[in-house]
Formats: sequence, structure tokens, C-alpha cells
Amino acid sequence: MAELQGLGAQLSEAEQAGVEIVAISPDSNEQSQQVAEGLHLNYRFLADRDLAVARRYGLIHSAGGPNGEDVPKPATIVVDRNGTVRWFKVAHNFQVRPDPGDVLKVVRSL
Amino acid sequence: MTAVRSSLRLALLSVVLAFGAIAAYVMLLGVPMVRNHPEGYVIAFAIATFLPIFALWRGYRPRWPSWVALFISSLLLVAGAWFDFVGARVPDTPLAFRTGEAAPDFTLPDAAGRPVTLADYRGKKPVIVIFYRGYW
Repeated sequence: MAELQGLGAQLSEAEQAGVEIVAISPDSNEQSQQVAEGLHLNYRFLADRDLAVARRYGLIHSAGGPNGEDVPKPATIVVDRNGTVRWFKVAHNFQVRPDPGDVLKVVRSL
Repeated sequence: MTAVRSSLRLALLSVVLAFGAIAAYVMLLGVPMVRNHPEGYVIAFAIATFLPIFALWRGYRPRWPSWVALFISSLLLVAGAWFDFVGARVPDTPLAFRTGEAAPDFTLPDAAGRPVTLADYRGKKPVIVIFYRGYW
């Protein structure tokens, strides 16, 4: 949930309309969606229950969860209008997230 | 007399610094500067550990506040350093996507159960795709 703060909040309303922010986790996230909507952030929370999509991206941290389960590696990927990856950052320490300013700089340049 | 006050004062400072660092980190998780420098709390724990060692070395009395502070802060230092440098590390493994290439497509249900497909945004708008662990 902490990634909610920052990214969306730094976008103006017009910019929010011009970009889709898609947050993928193994959770179902009804609550996260409610919080995001309450904050008028256009996040879409997607449930990747079996980590199939994380696996397709090569973003599995095997046995990285608190109970030794597989978890996704925290990652932020900017995809342009043509579906091409323009920029990404994968965490080396799961406490660390890319600076929202860096992400938005890339998005604004598209 | 001054030595007694110093011993208590340094011990108290040590404990306040150690727990203050935890509180500050948790409260300021939304601030990238704080969130992205978790070594900050490890440094705070290291200073908190140094203070009572200094007091003991200088022979400040009574000694017990220094020992208590040293016990708490060194425990936090070991736990914090382990977590930051070992526990929270994400291993480097090969990715299956690359800058300049098409992002692997996917369809996943959103919070309301409606399917969302990445390719549907093609020609419409850029997408920021965030993978996260859910509970963190």
C-alpha cells in the first residue's frame, strides 16, 4: 500500500487521465481499491493469485515471503502507447521503491 | 554528580534515538527519501549503541542505565542490520522483459473481478505496471 502514496499523488488530474497505473500483487485488493478511489487515484489493482504474470515477467523471488512462499519482486515498469517497455526498476531491497519523480519524468516524456 | 547525570542522560538519549528511528521510518514510509534509505535506521541504531559504550568506557555511574541501553540498542542494531542487508535483499535473477521490447501481455481480474488486459491500452495511453508483494 505504501506505493500508493507518491506516484498517484504527484500526478495532476489531467495526467492521471492520461496514464493508467496498474498494481499487480497476489492479493485480491478490494480494500486497496477502495482506498485508492477514496483518494481519487486511478489505480487498478489486479490479482495475480498464482503469480503466473510475475513468472512471465521473470519477477519471482522464490521463497522470499515471510512463510517461505514465493512472492513477486517489487518492480515498476513503464509501458508506452505501443506496448513497449520504456523504463523499469526492479528492487534489490524490498523496502526500496523507485522515486515517484523518476517514474513520472519518464511518463511525461512519452 | 555530573557523571551520574551523564550516564542516565546518555542511556536515555540512546533509547530515544533507537526507538525514534523506528517510529520515524514507519511514519515516513510514504516519503521516498526516508523509504529508500533504510540504512538510516541502521546508522541510528549504531549511534545508539555507541553512546552507552562511550559512557561505560568513561566510567560514568551508575552503570546499569548504560548496560540497559547497550542491551536494547545492540539488539536493534543486529536485527536492523540483518534485516536491511540480508532479510530484505531481493536476489538478482534474469528478467523476462527488456527496455525497447514489447511488454509481455497479460489479463488479470481487477478488484471487482473485471478482466484487465495490458494490450487493451495499446494506442490509448501509457501504463505504469507495478508489481508488489501485497502486504508490504
